[in-house]
Amino acid sequence: MFKNVLSRLVTQTVRPHRYAPPGPVIQRLIPASGPLRSFTDRKDEAQPQFDASLLDVLVCPLSKKPLRYDAETNELINEELGIAYPILDGIPNMIPQEARLIQKDSTEMPTQ
Amino acid sequence: MAASMRLLVRRAVRLSHRNITLTAAGAAARSGCCRGPSVCRCFSDEAEDRSTHFGFETVSETEKAKRVYKVFENVAQKYDIMNDAMSLGIHRVWKDALLHVMHPQPGAQLLDVAGGTGDIAFRFLEYIRSQEERQKRRAARSSQTPSWQDISNNYSTEDESRESRAVVCDINKEMLKVGKQKADSLGVSAGLSWVVGDAEELPFDDDQFDIYTIAFGIRNVTHIDQALQEALRVLKPGGRFMCLEFSKVNNPILSSIYDAYSFQMIPVIGEVIAGDWKSYQYLVESIRKFPNQEEFKGMIEDAGFYCVKYYNLTGGVVALHSGFKL
Repeated sequence: MFKNVLSRLVTQTVRPHRYAPPGPVIQRLIPASGPLRSFTDRKDEAQPQFDASLLDVLVCPLSKKPLRYDAETNELINEELGIAYPILDGIPNMIPQEARLIQKDSTEMPTQ
Repeated sequence: MAASMRLLVRRAVRLSHRNITLTAAGAAARSGCCRGPSVCRCFSDEAEDRSTHFGFETVSETEKAKRVYKVFENVAQKYDIMNDAMSLGIHRVWKDALLHVMHPQPGAQLLDVAGGTGDIAFRFLEYIRSQEERQKRRAARSSQTPSWQDISNNYSTEDESRESRAVVCDINKEMLKVGKQKADSLGVSAGLSWVVGDAEELPFDDDQFDIYTIAFGIRNVTHIDQALQEALRVLKPGGRFMCLEFSKVNNPILSSIYDAYSFQMIPVIGEVIAGDWKSYQYLVESIRKFPNQEEFKGMIEDAGFYCVKYYNLTGGVVALHSGFKL
């Protein structure tokens, strides 16, 4: 009989100890989820955007006429002369030799 | 081939300006293409015949442009480190002096040609920011107890009618790429733009900018007079042209030390740090081929600038030329 009481006392005292450890483990888990959340907020666009405010000052170097920004092909187009200047990494390339001729069969200009 | 295409397009533009219809101009360009070979040979021969200097070598003009492009393509990644190594950090003093003489006010529009890695543009934006803060502090000190109306007015005038902006233009994509990376790492993006363009044929409209700068770039341009003409065109009336460039040292002792350093040390440093002896050999040779202070001042005046003056820095190693479009 004493053994039963003793065994019950032991188990009762042991139980609270068993519940204590999970506490700090849960606390350690919560800060770990913080950095995990930041991984999902990565920037999706690898290509930097072209700054449309540049269009205020940019003109075609040959005709000095304003250009039209074409978002699909990512080029600056001079309708009058039918040429398109490419934009790489958000930086427009305004060298005439590197412009593309827009003709009905859209041929590329020979570059040197 | 490309040069002749450019000339044909220019002819087409001139035709269109004379009120000939677009289709006619297109036909002229296309028929010009058919006549291509003989015309090409004629025009390209002209460019081939006109020779210029590439360092101490004599090359054709098209050759020079190509080789200069290659030089800067090779050195782009190590450009800033090499500047610090070669000039022992003094290039920072020269560029700060340029800004100090420029003294830009908030709202100014800067065009930095041959701006490459963006040193001048960054300094410009920094200078304007500190100017704005100084002005705010002065305003705060003078208006001790502002009324609610004054405070609300201050909030509305914070985005000015004209935000200051710096456009960096360079013919070399690699240099601009390095510059853009620098800007991203410094976190500078507001009011800063990057454009690939030719100093002899700027992709900007007339009367656009308050200040045009070209720092250590004009000696690499094939036709300096054309670059000066373009500078005059894109500046607003009252706009300022500023050019930092290596120049002639008058003092004979300093000159001999400078020559020894340039020809013995700089290509070696170039080989050690950037792995490129030839590019830095070109650099020191091109400095010797560039006109001296007075000659360059004359060229700027010929282009149509007024009140042209120059300041010698570091005993004439570098000259800061300034002129106004009136």
